Amino acid sequence: MKKLLKYISPLAPDDSGACSVLYELGGIVVICDAGGCTGNICGFDEPRWHEKKSAVFSAGLRDMDAILGRDDRLIDKLARACEQLRPMQPQFTAIIGTPVPAVIATDLHAVKRMAEKQTGLPCIAVETNGTEYYDRGAEKTYCALFEAFAAERFPTQKGKIGILGATPLDTGCTHACDVTAGTDAAGAVCFGMDSTLDEIRRASECESLLVIAPSGLKAAKLLRTRFGIPYEIGAPRIPEDVIAQAMQHDGEPMLIVHQQFAANALRHKLRHPETADCATWFLFDNAYAQSGDFPIRGEEDLQKAAKQYRVIAADRDLQRLLPDYHGTWIDFPHYAVSARLINTNQ
Amino acid sequence: MNNAYFITAAELAALGFDRLPDELNSAKHMIYSSPATLDFNSPGAKGFGVKRAGLCVPGSVMLLVAPTCCGRNTALLNELGYHERFFYLLLDETDIVTGRHLKKIPEACAEICESAAKSPSAIMICVTCVDALLGTDMERVCRQCEEKTGVPAVPAYMYALTREKRIPPMGLTRKSVYSLLKKQPRHADACNLLGFFAAMNNQNEIYGLLGSAGLRNIREIGRCKTFDEYAAMSQANFNLVLNPEARYAAQDLYDRLGIPFIELTRVYRPDKIRNQYRGLSQAIGKTLDDAQYYDETVQAIAAFRKQYAGLHVAVGECLNADSFELALALTEFGVHVAEIYGTIGERNFVYLKKLAELSPQTRVYSNLSPTMLCYERDCTVDAVIGNDAMYYHRDLPGIGWNDEAQTFGYRGVTLLLSQLDRAISENRQIAEAEI
Repeated sequence: MKKLLKYISPLAPDDSGACSVLYELGGIVVICDAGGCTGNICGFDEPRWHEKKSAVFSAGLRDMDAILGRDDRLIDKLARACEQLRPMQPQFTAIIGTPVPAVIATDLHAVKRMAEKQTGLPCIAVETNGTEYYDRGAEKTYCALFEAFAAERFPTQKGKIGILGATPLDTGCTHACDVTAGTDAAGAVCFGMDSTLDEIRRASECESLLVIAPSGLKAAKLLRTRFGIPYEIGAPRIPEDVIAQAMQHDGEPMLIVHQQFAANALRHKLRHPETADCATWFLFDNAYAQSGDFPIRGEEDLQKAAKQYRVIAADRDLQRLLPDYHGTWIDFPHYAVSARLINTNQ
Repeated sequence: MNNAYFITAAELAALGFDRLPDELNSAKHMIYSSPATLDFNSPGAKGFGVKRAGLCVPGSVMLLVAPTCCGRNTALLNELGYHERFFYLLLDETDIVTGRHLKKIPEACAEICESAAKSPSAIMICVTCVDALLGTDMERVCRQCEEKTGVPAVPAYMYALTREKRIPPMGLTRKSVYSLLKKQPRHADACNLLGFFAAMNNQNEIYGLLGSAGLRNIREIGRCKTFDEYAAMSQANFNLVLNPEARYAAQDLYDRLGIPFIELTRVYRPDKIRNQYRGLSQAIGKTLDDAQYYDETVQAIAAFRKQYAGLHVAVGECLNADSFELALALTEFGVHVAEIYGTIGERNFVYLKKLAELSPQTRVYSNLSPTMLCYERDCTVDAVIGNDAMYYHRDLPGIGWNDEAQTFGYRGVTLLLSQLDRAISENRQIAEAEI
């Protein structure tokens, strides 16, 4: 069965991706759930939870809230939280969808309007439902943020680069300096990481954008349309040891599994990239694929494909899928798979 | 600046349970899933939540039927060796709206059984808020799975939406894990301890007391290594319920198998422990001589009081105790409880009222309040108890008191005090060495 996982644990979901983009922006983020989704996000998918404080809350929905559609209670609680956290000067509120509002068909945009009316703060609603992967949630959130806050055109600052796709889930890093370390983009603004909502507001100052994960691509197109800012496809920092191991097997049939742009980036490091194929469980854009690349739709896809390769560069958690694989496995950590960081200070 | 909401014990007692401040009522505010209390909102991540608890039946496997987001943190359990026992049927948007996934569950169970090297003893089918809202008849689905595979299938309800209902998810899970027991002759020398998923602390006096009363087979699910050992639990003459969340399971075992049950409460005040053992003696018609344990405990308390009179402690709720009962006990032991991070309910409001008489200025915080984001210590605290309290006061000596091998009765008191003594002493030694 395509949707049956027999070997690996589920990968990071869309609500985690949404939260990941919003985490450091100084808003009050409400995960519209009963508690379990918030626990999964804060306790597993958000590594900054233990190092940087953020006002991320669960709506604490109960069965009767869901059955009776008591959105007004949600808004009352949100208004109360805004009042209680006034000393922190929240900049905005955000409501992130989960399976509960999806099942009862909550109109999150109506909730957004109600929230704005009652709190006086701008609100963004992200229609995630917990069934898609993190990058879909991050993609929706980037777009919602820039739609809502990047309205004004500021003078372009020469040399200013804005990076999209810099979430811990995509990069394995929790600090912007780790994302850009060793790249040409050192000093660039990573939207949502070590930066504030003000950088989102002032996005038009950027001379160019660097998209390091497919989750940032739609927002980059939005900013290009709105402000004429060009974008390029970039890559997050690839761990040196991964590159070194891949180079040792340069020229051998190799499968690289990660988010698409990171996988491509590792392939480009090879002298013989034509022998490497890239695959991903996540967003797969044909425009950035080479022949032989493929999306992974289920465990069986990877099991079948693995036989063709002498080397696999992928997160070690995926190795459980292939107990009989006898080729070389290069551990290429991906936080959205195994929740392992690659911060340089670790 | 400490901007977290608190209320003193005296103020709270004066208000009464019917007039709890909204800040202490989790239904009235957003829930802060503090790093201190992650296991409240995510019991799957730590200790025994529905997912791990459901696998207490030896040889069982679990199929989690849920959207991706519900099973994500189960990866943490892989580190404990569970990865070969968890399977996931991921739901898409159409599934969660139409419920079409229900037809796939028997097929998924069959595929799991076919791929397993050894047939599982049972398949626990874990369902989530989605099926709670869809009103899925899981008993029926489980019957279909059993017909398809020949392996018993049991529902495990991970319904976070019903957390504050009369029977919360962990109560239902306890019923599920004992539901495979079949009726068989009861043995006069057998009893079960219900309430915890891991084996309890071997030093608990309850083993000795029950043994002295002729009970040679004292069984716990956490000690069952094989399905046969588990199946023998239905030979029990009676069940001892040591955690109120197991009451529903005990009632079910009484209804189905005719095994009566006796409920004991975990408390830390020695006189109350003694009263409970006396009640148990009467219930089973045997004398339980606890004098030695009682005396040792009273001596331990006296020694602690002598050494630490006036000690200021903070008590959390991520621990093996009721925060308010433990705070009351510590106060009676001569300790000053400065702060409690806990959830007040009808049951433990009784303790709060007594605490208010002895320590009216004790502050009561709610871990779940959004204002805990702004918590900063602004009163004297010398040591802490509970994983959450340790998070708030990382610079202070403390004990998590959250072991899976749980204590009960006098052993709990003596071990708590000795661990606290050790933590404080070690901290002092480190401080002196630094000087």
